[in-house]
Amino acid sequence: MAKPVVKKKYTLTERVYLIEIIKGLGLTFKHFVFNVKASFRPGPHTVPTCWQYPEDRREIAPIFRGAHMLMLDDQGRIKCVGCGMCAKACPAQCITVKRGKVAEGEESKYVGKTYPEEFVVDLTRCIFCGFCEEACPKGAIVLGPEYELAQYTREECQLTKEGLLANYYKAKEEGKLKPPKKPVPVAASAEPVAKKAAAAKKAAPKKVEAQGAEAKGDAKEAKAKEAEAKKAEKEQKSEG
Amino acid sequence: MNWVIAIIKVVFIWTWCLLWATVMTWAERRGSAMIQDRLGPNRAGPFGLFQPIADGIKLFTKEEFRPKTARKILFNLGPILFAIPAFSAYAVIPFGDKIVIGGKEILLQVADVNIGFLYVLAIGALAVYGIVVGGWGSNNKYSILGGLRSTAQLISYEVPWGLALLAAVFVYGTFDLRQIALEQTGTFLGFLPNWGVFKQPLGFLIFTVAAYAEANRVPFDLPEAESEIVAGYHTEYGGMRLGLYLFGEYVNLYTLSALCVTLYFGAWNLPYIDMSKFLGPISYGIASFVVFWLKVMVFLLSFIWVRWTVPRFRYDQVMRLGWKTLIPLALFNLLITALFIQLTV
Repeated sequence: MAKPVVKKKYTLTERVYLIEIIKGLGLTFKHFVFNVKASFRPGPHTVPTCWQYPEDRREIAPIFRGAHMLMLDDQGRIKCVGCGMCAKACPAQCITVKRGKVAEGEESKYVGKTYPEEFVVDLTRCIFCGFCEEACPKGAIVLGPEYELAQYTREECQLTKEGLLANYYKAKEEGKLKPPKKPVPVAASAEPVAKKAAAAKKAAPKKVEAQGAEAKGDAKEAKAKEAEAKKAEKEQKSEG
Repeated sequence: MNWVIAIIKVVFIWTWCLLWATVMTWAERRGSAMIQDRLGPNRAGPFGLFQPIADGIKLFTKEEFRPKTARKILFNLGPILFAIPAFSAYAVIPFGDKIVIGGKEILLQVADVNIGFLYVLAIGALAVYGIVVGGWGSNNKYSILGGLRSTAQLISYEVPWGLALLAAVFVYGTFDLRQIALEQTGTFLGFLPNWGVFKQPLGFLIFTVAAYAEANRVPFDLPEAESEIVAGYHTEYGGMRLGLYLFGEYVNLYTLSALCVTLYFGAWNLPYIDMSKFLGPISYGIASFVVFWLKVMVFLLSFIWVRWTVPRFRYDQVMRLGWKTLIPLALFNLLITALFIQLTV
């Protein structure tokens, strides 16, 4: 059914309109004075709503996904083993990995027995979804904090191994490396789910029978547990 | 000698109007930004003050593009027809009292015409030809709509405008703008400055509303309503032709503000203070000029202020306001003024 249109009845002062205009002028004047005052503050970021980009940059979120980095471990060894799972996971198919065997005498440079002989990320294709990061069993490829990616040629947009490592060094220097992702222990993750289920039980309308609600909650918990079990399996597999 | 002085005055007031029209384009952009919590153009020069120069260079060096189907003569004529009245309307409005240099008294006014008032009205009404001709010559439906709207709006608002001004003429008893300015010295009712706005508050209100409509300013900028008809009459214009339209608008604003100050805000007179008594002949001339200019600036800035406060009216609302509200009010104002003068004089 169509919603009936209710026309607002205007009071006399509203119908005269002039008073309302003067009120509006007062409001805009307040903004004007505030912003003029603000624009005389020191520093590039003056008016609170505006970030003047080249001079001031906003803090990026800790989960920000910028240009890729090839990670090193504590001893400065490349974590990547060149397995190509990131390339498989990539929906834009922008990653090319060529696996090579680590030559004798170079073991100190790489974590695994194999290493990425060639590692190219085509930034013209990348959609910055972060699937590569999730797929990587070694935590070797991570989307970093770098977001100024404009280049003059297409060739410059091909992020090679050197470029990926350079991104890593830059992020490390600026202290913008993300904390390494740790696998979430099953017990710890089960708790919030259980809590949620409990909350759902409470929130359920009174009309629904208690038993039904419980059953629903149980089903949810069971599902969540299943999912966790699967995850754990996957992790084990990938680690192995 | 007299004509040399006249030429100097003409050149001076042209440059002055153009200068403040230029500054207005900057003030409009920065002011609107400050009102809307933005920053506005702040790159060119200190506070972005050179932005108008950059804009001017851009407009001058742009390609003078003309659509294939546009009427060539009319298309070229439009901006000129708009700019000429804008630049010539100021001729009769004073910009100060008088200055005495070398024993020679110089009026700070290009032409002291005894029907100056009517001249401003006539020239102001001519500006619409530029808009209509430009809109017609562009051969574009949005342009022609803009031109039509401008015509209808001007006809509607010329009536209350004229009636409000007529009431002012009743009060002053003259068409001479300099004479009107001179009459606004001293006090009114013993405690108010003897300004037109206190004698004609309603008339001032009607004048202001109609002036916004005459200048095609928001909330009456229907001829160029972006959200409805692209850019109205100047949709097809670019380069310096467009520049003339935009510039002419600001010069118009300066003229209207000056007229408003002359009629309703005591021209160069300060309230309660008679500057001519304690200032020398030259410094008095300069002081009267500065006071007049400051008053004009207040009105110019209020044009910006209102523009970024009030949204555009719908077309029927504009017409209703003009015909059903302003004209009866103006007639009422006229009646009251006439009665009052008849009974007291």
